[in-house]
Amino acid sequence: MKTWHRYVICVALGLIGGAAYAVQLVRGGLNDGLVSSGPWETGKSFGTVDASTLTRAKVALSGLLALPAKEAMYFTATRDSNGRALDGRCTYDVRGGTLDGRWWSVTLYEGEGWLVKNAAKRWSIPASAVTTDAQGRWSFTVSPDTQSGSWLPTGSVEAFDLTLRLYHPSADIIKSPETAQMPAIDRKGCA
Amino acid sequence: MMRRWIFPILAGGLMAFGAYQATLLATPYALMQAALMKVGKQGPANQFAFAPMTTADNQTIVRPSPDLSYSTCVFDVSKGPVLVDVQPVPGHYWSVSIFDARTDVAAVRSDRDTKGKAARLALVKAGQTAPAGYEPVRVGYDRGLVLIRILVAPASTFPTIDAIRQKSTCKQV
Repeated sequence: MKTWHRYVICVALGLIGGAAYAVQLVRGGLNDGLVSSGPWETGKSFGTVDASTLTRAKVALSGLLALPAKEAMYFTATRDSNGRALDGRCTYDVRGGTLDGRWWSVTLYEGEGWLVKNAAKRWSIPASAVTTDAQGRWSFTVSPDTQSGSWLPTGSVEAFDLTLRLYHPSADIIKSPETAQMPAIDRKGCA
Repeated sequence: MMRRWIFPILAGGLMAFGAYQATLLATPYALMQAALMKVGKQGPANQFAFAPMTTADNQTIVRPSPDLSYSTCVFDVSKGPVLVDVQPVPGHYWSVSIFDARTDVAAVRSDRDTKGKAARLALVKAGQTAPAGYEPVRVGYDRGLVLIRILVAPASTFPTIDAIRQKSTCKQV
């Protein structure tokens, strides 16, 4: 084998390997290496010039046109409170309390972030759709089957995630999102 | 034998690092260009397109919120500043955000920032000046996206909000 053959082989493998590794990291989702609060994860630098090249690429793929934290924070859960992957064939209770911001909503997505087709035509639970008790506690159900009260259909997809948008979050949450009192996600059973 | 491979392997390692960095750097530009093309089909450049409420059947951009109404303008400042006038929607959260070709936010103004008044922004690049009465927003690239979000809750308020938001304008000077 000639010297230039060895260079061509190694350079080609390097180019393919480097690009493939970058694609794999970018497709790894928004959550890697970010801040966690229970099953929810978020980043502090979405949409800003402070974002690393990797974070910017991940957000461009899974959350294009995201706002910076002072305007809105995006908390995403791909697992329940016991660490099990969210499964559209299962039923979950989502229970939370007062969130320290102006307005919130929880939206259910599949894949890289697409709304799931369902007969009920429901894709999110906004703050105005839940009933809060005297302590500010609220809950809703995520399920493949019709439920009474506030509920979100999963469409029986194999895997889904929940994104909680918190608009105009408090200064404390922007500074330390890991301290936010985020909702619990409890699996009740599976079909 | 192995000594013959040392320098080719080092060259391959350098190429791998370069390809990794280039892929990460190129990804936001490529995805933003794809988004601008998609959104651009809804209307001409430097003009707002007022999308219907998002459902599972009409998703344009990844991870949309079905609780927000979206109005978009693909801007192009290559031939002059672009003026953005946002009509306020009383009693509802709204914001206008300017995204550049790298997906970074050049500016965000919400009803909290304007204290409920209209937002008047002039998108300018180096060498251009904003007209009187407009807040200048410097953009690093000729093209990008203006996005107005308005909270629609309850859903029955959409016709009223839709009538108000259609008074917002995006136009080249």
